[in-house]
Amino acid sequence: MRPPSPSIPEKEFLNSALKQNLRIDGRIPLDMRTPVFIFGPELGWVDCSLGKTRVVAYVDAKMVKPTPERPFEGMITIHSELSPYGVQRINSPRPSEEEVTITRMLDKIIKRSDALDKESLCILAGQRVWHIRLSLHFLADAGNMVDCACLAGIVALRHFRRPEVEVIGDDEVIVHSPLERAPMPLAIHHSPFCFTFAFFADPETPPILDPTQLEQRLSAGLMSIALNAQKEICVLQKLGGVPQDTEEILRLVKVAVAQAKELSNTVDAKLTADWATRKVEVR
Amino acid sequence: MNASRPIQISYDGLARVDGSARFSFGDTVALASVSGPIEVRLAAELPSQATFDVSVRPLNNVPSTESKSQAATIRSAIAPSLILNKNPRTLIQLVIQTLSPTSTPRWTDGLLAAMINSSTLALLNAGSVPMRGVVCAIAIGKTRDGELLVDPEEARVAELIQGGCFAFMVADGAGLESNSTTVWTNWRALERTFDEMGLMSAREAAKDAIKGVYASMKSSIMPERIGHGDDDKMEI
Repeated sequence: MRPPSPSIPEKEFLNSALKQNLRIDGRIPLDMRTPVFIFGPELGWVDCSLGKTRVVAYVDAKMVKPTPERPFEGMITIHSELSPYGVQRINSPRPSEEEVTITRMLDKIIKRSDALDKESLCILAGQRVWHIRLSLHFLADAGNMVDCACLAGIVALRHFRRPEVEVIGDDEVIVHSPLERAPMPLAIHHSPFCFTFAFFADPETPPILDPTQLEQRLSAGLMSIALNAQKEICVLQKLGGVPQDTEEILRLVKVAVAQAKELSNTVDAKLTADWATRKVEVR
Repeated sequence: MNASRPIQISYDGLARVDGSARFSFGDTVALASVSGPIEVRLAAELPSQATFDVSVRPLNNVPSTESKSQAATIRSAIAPSLILNKNPRTLIQLVIQTLSPTSTPRWTDGLLAAMINSSTLALLNAGSVPMRGVVCAIAIGKTRDGELLVDPEEARVAELIQGGCFAFMVADGAGLESNSTTVWTNWRALERTFDEMGLMSAREAAKDAIKGVYASMKSSIMPERIGHGDDDKMEI
């Protein structure tokens, strides 16, 4: 049977290593793990991994009747349930605290920040709109699932193509299959990325970016910043934990801005490379 | 008789679980992970054997009634191959994730077969649960013209009038012919009435087709024979 982690030697080793600016996996404190993307055969399926943390995101779309309050807008729902991959949480009706945090962050970053344009999802006002469903599956937790989930979600939404529809007259809608007409990408205003910093109780220990499982467990506070490459902050979340002064927070925001630019270029390159491998004939 | 769609096996090495494996028939992919024997909640504890818990997570949605039904099905197919009384008062947890969307809700047997196969491979990859044999599964369909299709593709599902998934437990020893027994099947008629002869002939076809599946599984675990070029390849 596995003993409960973290043990006292692990705790002491991590704390003394971090005091000397050394992380167990060899990174410098403000270094993020390189994300690896695997795109599936379907459009909208992406497997994103940050080190050993893996999240699979899948987007699908169906046509539904819009809500009466908002007849011109489409709908987006995000499903993100933590599965018991090695976590003892079977059949418990209450989601764990981490799951609640992840769900709320995803909601704020992807839905509330209007990353995806809802009005472009309207087909026939008041009668038919697209309902985009994003499902996230957490395959492995090696720390920092929030960042990985947000990244996977945004990349999947950008990768997805919805079928083309044609509206004839006032009430006839023809949905073209992908074989007849090339499917359309979703209207994405901006791509927010999330960065999580972990703080420790000891004032001499610097904050670290993208914590691993052990670092996350032993941290005394976490702060997540979600922003896009255009330096617009969508979410800045710090739920309790060790108090930090303003200069420190501003310094970390600058770090996140630099990381966002780099990550945005990486994501763009990977999406273009994948799109080049797909056969899209335009006659 | 046709061959099944190309089989691909890979061992993902997921963090914090004891074993994980991915199995696919063509584009139908399932990923399974096993942890065990691990600590069990008091309510689920059994005094003389390990608790075997299976959960299925579909790609499109949060788990629903169908997932619970599939989990119960997979549990009854895999349980005969496990020796659970070696680890009493512990938990063997199997989580299966489908990685391909189900475009034909009428026919999910190809996916079911992939899920059973990936579960077996995950258990073998973990190596911590004693097993009697290896459970391999394959889907069989029968068309209107009486043709038996092994692992029918989605394009041909509309032609089927009878179909189902067969799971066999294979234990090496005297040879595959005598050492595979059917442990589970859900053969049913999709149209018209059920016909027992159809079931018998389908089972024979499945028994034949399972040899290919078993061979793929075995070669994914055992390296190539010494002297035959690069070994340690885990993928077919």
